[in-house]
Amino acid sequence: MSGVSSEIDVKARLRAAEILRERFKTLINQILKGENPTLIIPKRTLSNTIYDEKRKLLLLGSDTLERSFYDVREAKKFMQTVLMASLIYEALINNEYPTIRDLYYRGKHSIRFRDFKGRIKEENTWDEQRESDSVIRDIEVFTNLLREEMLILSKEKGKVVGNMRIRSGDDVIDLSKMGHGAYAIEPTPDLIEFIDVDAEFVLVVEKDAVFQQLHRAGFWRKYKAILITSAGQPDRATRRFVRRLNDELKLPIYILTDADPYGWYIYSVFRIGSITLSYESERLATPEAKFLGVSMVDIYGHKKLRKKPYLNEAERRNYVIKAKPTDIKRAKELMSYKWFQTPRWRIELEIFLSKKSKLEIEALTSKGLKFLMDTYIPGKIQTKDWIG
Amino acid sequence: MGAVAEVATVEKFKAISPAEFFFRNKEIAGFQNPARALYQTIRELVENALDATDAHGILPNVKVMIDQDPSRPMFYTITVEDNGIGIPPQYVPRAFGQLLFSSKYVLRQTRGTFGLGAKMAVLYGQITTGKPVEVVSSTINSNRIYIFRILIDVKTNKPIILHQESVRKNNGWHGTIVKVTIEGDWSRAKSRIYEYIRRTAIIAPYAEILFKDPEGNYLIFKRSITMLPKPPRVTKYHPHGIDLEVLKSLVQETKATTLLEFLKTEFSSVGEATAKAFLKFANLPLDKDPKHLTRQEIEYLARMLREFKFKNPKGTHLSPLGKEIIIAGLKSILKPEFVTAISRRPSAYQGHAFIVEVGIAYGGAIPYSESPILLRFANKIPLLYDEKSDVSWKVLTERINWSAYGISFPAPLAVLVHICSTKIPYKGAGKESIAEVPQIESEVELAVREAARELRSYIIKKRKEEELARKAVNIAKYIPDVARSLTKLAFDLKVGKSLIDYELLTQALLKGLNRRLKDYIIKSLDEVVVSIE
Repeated sequence: MSGVSSEIDVKARLRAAEILRERFKTLINQILKGENPTLIIPKRTLSNTIYDEKRKLLLLGSDTLERSFYDVREAKKFMQTVLMASLIYEALINNEYPTIRDLYYRGKHSIRFRDFKGRIKEENTWDEQRESDSVIRDIEVFTNLLREEMLILSKEKGKVVGNMRIRSGDDVIDLSKMGHGAYAIEPTPDLIEFIDVDAEFVLVVEKDAVFQQLHRAGFWRKYKAILITSAGQPDRATRRFVRRLNDELKLPIYILTDADPYGWYIYSVFRIGSITLSYESERLATPEAKFLGVSMVDIYGHKKLRKKPYLNEAERRNYVIKAKPTDIKRAKELMSYKWFQTPRWRIELEIFLSKKSKLEIEALTSKGLKFLMDTYIPGKIQTKDWIG
Repeated sequence: MGAVAEVATVEKFKAISPAEFFFRNKEIAGFQNPARALYQTIRELVENALDATDAHGILPNVKVMIDQDPSRPMFYTITVEDNGIGIPPQYVPRAFGQLLFSSKYVLRQTRGTFGLGAKMAVLYGQITTGKPVEVVSSTINSNRIYIFRILIDVKTNKPIILHQESVRKNNGWHGTIVKVTIEGDWSRAKSRIYEYIRRTAIIAPYAEILFKDPEGNYLIFKRSITMLPKPPRVTKYHPHGIDLEVLKSLVQETKATTLLEFLKTEFSSVGEATAKAFLKFANLPLDKDPKHLTRQEIEYLARMLREFKFKNPKGTHLSPLGKEIIIAGLKSILKPEFVTAISRRPSAYQGHAFIVEVGIAYGGAIPYSESPILLRFANKIPLLYDEKSDVSWKVLTERINWSAYGISFPAPLAVLVHICSTKIPYKGAGKESIAEVPQIESEVELAVREAARELRSYIIKKRKEEELARKAVNIAKYIPDVARSLTKLAFDLKVGKSLIDYELLTQALLKGLNRRLKDYIIKSLDEVVVSIE
């Protein structure tokens, strides 16, 4: 391999391999000393997820769990953890980029053994990918290395276009010359080098379809924006990419989702992190990210806030959808999360629960793409009509 | 008619009642149909054979053969041979040719259920096939072997000797061979007979039993223990255990000349002081000659004897099997993984001493069933019929909560209950099940509980061991993967190889595991891990 990016790649590999080797060396030492080999891993549970009010981040608490090999309840997980670690280590030193699915298959084999009654039995190291994915997450928190840093790939989901040039691998990619397509945000966003950028803000839209319409209509060129879609729940690469745009290029981040609890949670994942992956928040969350819309106030207006609705009565009749029971349930869950317990979010959730209705962004394009592109988005940014 | 003393036999013989009655009422003796008759014949002859051996300190060798007459398929010849004390030739005709020629007024625990013994088989055989019984016998000190062929004169209940001879004995053999031919039904009796032989082998593991069935199959039960149960001893009646009939004959035959003497010499649990206290209680003179008692006075005496509080009979005359023999029997026939036995101390009901013994066998070759397999014995006789109405069945299924002893059904559990007594309280005429006498029920329950507690300890210990073994395996099976993964993780890029040896790590992991398990050691990983693919 040659070139700048290859060097980044090699460095990342060596660093991750070194950390893995060192962390697991302690187990070998324990075994040779006759001790019970024990992994001390921060707990990845809801009860050990802490919302840091100051930093406005969802972080992993200080609770740890001990996974000892000679503990019969933990022995299998222990085996799975070291097995997975060895697979990742091998991939790192062999210059491979395995996906989590690859790692699942590489580690899956069967152990034939005699049980205590002498019967021959068979057991797989793991049966479902859920199990191998879970130990990958354990290794991430155990080594403090994100899977991206260990060069493990996952399916690409996020897309980006805009007036920006980046270097990925040995290639320079101009994100303004993607035609009707877009650049798929690679699973290792830390290996991307930003070359130059000419943009004033970043707009992240939840819906891929809305992203495509805005892209074709020339939104990012007209308003000097970097346009991104997470296509639903954001993957880690998209979140890390957005974070880097904010961190390194100081670009403000605006997030546009459906007006429903699921859309709002997507926003909160970008901003403060997710409950299941709270250990990544420090590197993935963007506390500066702002919720641009669509809010319940956008739909219904609010007297005390002196906000007029963007939709009139007839439009509401046409576009607003009745909320499902699962939406109501999800809204109530959001109300119990600390980071949704701000006065402004309370208004949103209360309107949602009283109206029991929701709105998809697509509805705003039905009102006219022009309305969304030239009125709603720039208007809200200009008047700072967001929730931050 | 009087009793005849004889060195080799302990029995005192007496002829009482005609044969005709019994043939007309053959269901009383268990000969109601050809299948039952075949089973009953085997039973009577085998029990006689065992009584002639183990009660006299001889380790039994018993051969049982059933042959079918090829020209008359309903006719079966049953031959039973023992190595017992033999029968003196002068008693052979009456012992096989006269019904109720027996030892009625001597009280002793014996196997014989009806006092009819082999004679009923002889009678049934002669009436259904016309064939006489053939008896070959020799006593221990005799130098001759006597051979008889005998029929019973049904009208007079007297033996008819068809043939008698004797030959010189030059091999020291002693014992008895009895051969009877009866009308039977092997196909319908087969399973019961096999079960009877098998259960006899369980209760008499000190016997060697050879069985040949009419199909030509042989079954041999080897002797698994050379210990014999203590022989039963003749005892006197307990005052609470007599009826009017018995009292009358005791009065008739006693040599005592005063009531005080009579009570002291003819009864158990009665000494000088007790006898005096009783006579005062009954308001009877000490010096009255018992022979002068009127019928009314005898009736009064019998009633008073039942009412007065005597000490319980001691039961030392009984012949329990003992723990070792029960264990040996259950082990050799059932091949269980665990066996225990309890022999209770003597107890009494209505003036009759009894002893309850219980054996529990668990696991191994015992099949799983929804309730305990009950093996009932009374005075060493297997009881096969009417199980559900037996006191032991009631205790096992109603009184014992098996889950409290670590058993959940279906389970491989067999429970042996042996009750020995000079008088077994049978339920009904069939004499196949024992009545729910409160004292017996309580003793059976206590014995079963005592044995079950030992079983529970075993099950708990076994479960702990299994738990440990399961735990050991469930960790050890991952050792190769853990060792290999850590070996890979110690691969050094600069050196180009791993800094740790896989074998070394494997051994260290196994050593660490064994040290933590303490009581369970895996010597080599090959014991656990078959392959990793």
